[in-house]
Amino acid sequence: MSNLDIVRPENSSFQWVGRLLIWSILLLFCFWFLMPAYVVISTSLKNLEEIRGGSLLALPHELNFTAWQHAWNQACIGVQCTGLQPYFMNSVMMAIPAVLFSTILGALTGYTLTKWRFKGSNIIFALILFGCFVPFQVVILPMAQTLGILRLTNTVYGLILVHSVYGLAFTTLFFRNYYVTIPDELIRAATIDGAGFFTIFFRILLPISPPIIVVAVIWQFTQIWNDFLFGVSFTTGGSQPLMVALNNLVNTTTGVKQYNVDMAAALITAAPTLLVYIVAGRYFVRGLTAGSVKG
Amino acid sequence: MASLSIRNAVKRFGAVEVIKNVSLDLNDGEFLVLLGASGCGKSTLLNMIAGLENITEGEIRIGDRVVNDVHPKDRDIAMVFQSYALYPNMTVEKNIAFGLEMRGIPKEERNKLVSEVATMLQIDHLLDRKPAQLSGGQRQRVAMGRALVRRPEIFLFDEPLSNLDAKLRLEMRTEIKRLHKELNATIVYVTHDQIEAMTLADRIAILKDGIVQQYATPAEIYNKPTNVFIASLVGSPPMNFLNARLETVDDDVVAHVPLTKDPDGQKLDLSLKGYDSDLSAYIGKEVIIGIRPENISYTEEPVKDGHEVVQGEVDVVEPTGADTLCHIKWGINSVLARINNRIDVAIGDKFNCAIDMKRTNVFDKKTETRI
Repeated sequence: MSNLDIVRPENSSFQWVGRLLIWSILLLFCFWFLMPAYVVISTSLKNLEEIRGGSLLALPHELNFTAWQHAWNQACIGVQCTGLQPYFMNSVMMAIPAVLFSTILGALTGYTLTKWRFKGSNIIFALILFGCFVPFQVVILPMAQTLGILRLTNTVYGLILVHSVYGLAFTTLFFRNYYVTIPDELIRAATIDGAGFFTIFFRILLPISPPIIVVAVIWQFTQIWNDFLFGVSFTTGGSQPLMVALNNLVNTTTGVKQYNVDMAAALITAAPTLLVYIVAGRYFVRGLTAGSVKG
Repeated sequence: MASLSIRNAVKRFGAVEVIKNVSLDLNDGEFLVLLGASGCGKSTLLNMIAGLENITEGEIRIGDRVVNDVHPKDRDIAMVFQSYALYPNMTVEKNIAFGLEMRGIPKEERNKLVSEVATMLQIDHLLDRKPAQLSGGQRQRVAMGRALVRRPEIFLFDEPLSNLDAKLRLEMRTEIKRLHKELNATIVYVTHDQIEAMTLADRIAILKDGIVQQYATPAEIYNKPTNVFIASLVGSPPMNFLNARLETVDDDVVAHVPLTKDPDGQKLDLSLKGYDSDLSAYIGKEVIIGIRPENISYTEEPVKDGHEVVQGEVDVVEPTGADTLCHIKWGINSVLARINNRIDVAIGDKFNCAIDMKRTNVFDKKTETRI
């Protein structure tokens, strides 16, 4: 017989109270966490009079996208009133190559460290792993010197290099943990079939890596897009990434504080990462847990 | 096809010696089975032949060529793995053709070879599927197809049947044997299953702790195992072992098997007249007598030519269908007899056992090697 004690009687009043409590707490937290998002979105759609006159929580009278337009191509960032547009492009120019480089290199190092082990490969992996725990602030000074020597200071290329190097620790970890679950016999079979290092990588391992590639791309894109510290440290003026520009936009005040423009700018800045999550988010969780259980 | 010759091969991982001075010779077209328990070094030896592990000392030749430092792809071998190791992203067709593609064989010829092999293995209707869409037996066939399509000098099989269920395993075993005969291929096959070894092999090499214990034909290994380890490993149900002392009675060598705990008590006399080697050095010494269960049979007569007849009491009866396994007590000794299923026996029956003494093995008690 099964254990009857754990089968609860149905429709008891006790159960109703419990349910009600759970639901109300969940709803409360739902409101709590959605409130800032609601305020940001609704404020960005209001004009300044509405903001001054109405309540913070009131709905906008009409859908008014002028603040978005303003943030995109008119708002003043420092003394340049170009809006976020050029900086958005800077971030795209920085994030896409940096994500690609760090993901491809991470896949290669992960592959080498699991399938072509050599003396000391575990130590190398441990050292790379160590890179995940080094805070941004620690590497700023040596990185600035390196960029100086390479003459990449104040360029998007410099930021691409910084992010590729810094991201390598994470992507290596992801790919190593994924490839360690793939049986070595597969590599041996391919070796006997006559495939070499890169053929095995491109023809056999890479085609079965999409789950972990998605994880690496989402992780890296979010990290790089949202980075402020490297951007503000290594670039000035026109080559700054979007995140720095947003900060400058909010801090540049000429007369009245344009809350609606600030909010719209924040939303524009957050949009790409949000988009990446919506498109690839479900693979993210799948990839993170991939390989943890057999099957 | 080619012959294989392993000379004094040694493999060390750091200070651990996994393969200790192994020498084996295999003729063109022969089927060699490496048999042993897990950890005996049989897979390591196979990987050394394949070139997936390097050779610390010694020499491996395929045909006339020393292949110690030859890359696996240039050794002209093909290997079937226990997990099949099919490329998960490729269709069956691409899986089979991959090795040919890597060797730069043009597409038309590839297609021709793949379809030939697929027909031979009856997987031609599966060519467009991915490995994940195949059953265990089908995957096994694809893995064999991948090896067969290249027509290598030597085929290497690493426990290829151990992931299959019992029925499929029998089917595939027959298939492998049939392919061996058809292709006249040189095969090295690793297994821990002694029945697989007995059924498939032309020659079996039994490994233990990296040392070849015996390298002989299945019949010789079964009938004349060189030591107690092999005698107990090969054969199911296993061989019976009885402690005995050799004496001479009327110029014949006789083994005295004690029936009581008292060393001076009642004894069983088993004549070893006509044993295939000289036992005179062991007169008065302790030995182990090994008798296979099928060499103990039921008899009604008190005397049978070439046999020793012993009365025993049935302890346990295990009918298997074809035969009945009887555990019989001879005093303090318990032996297992495999008798015809038409003979009706029950627990407690007293029954005359005829022991076929010509097929009896005698082992040195100290070294456990066959005399």
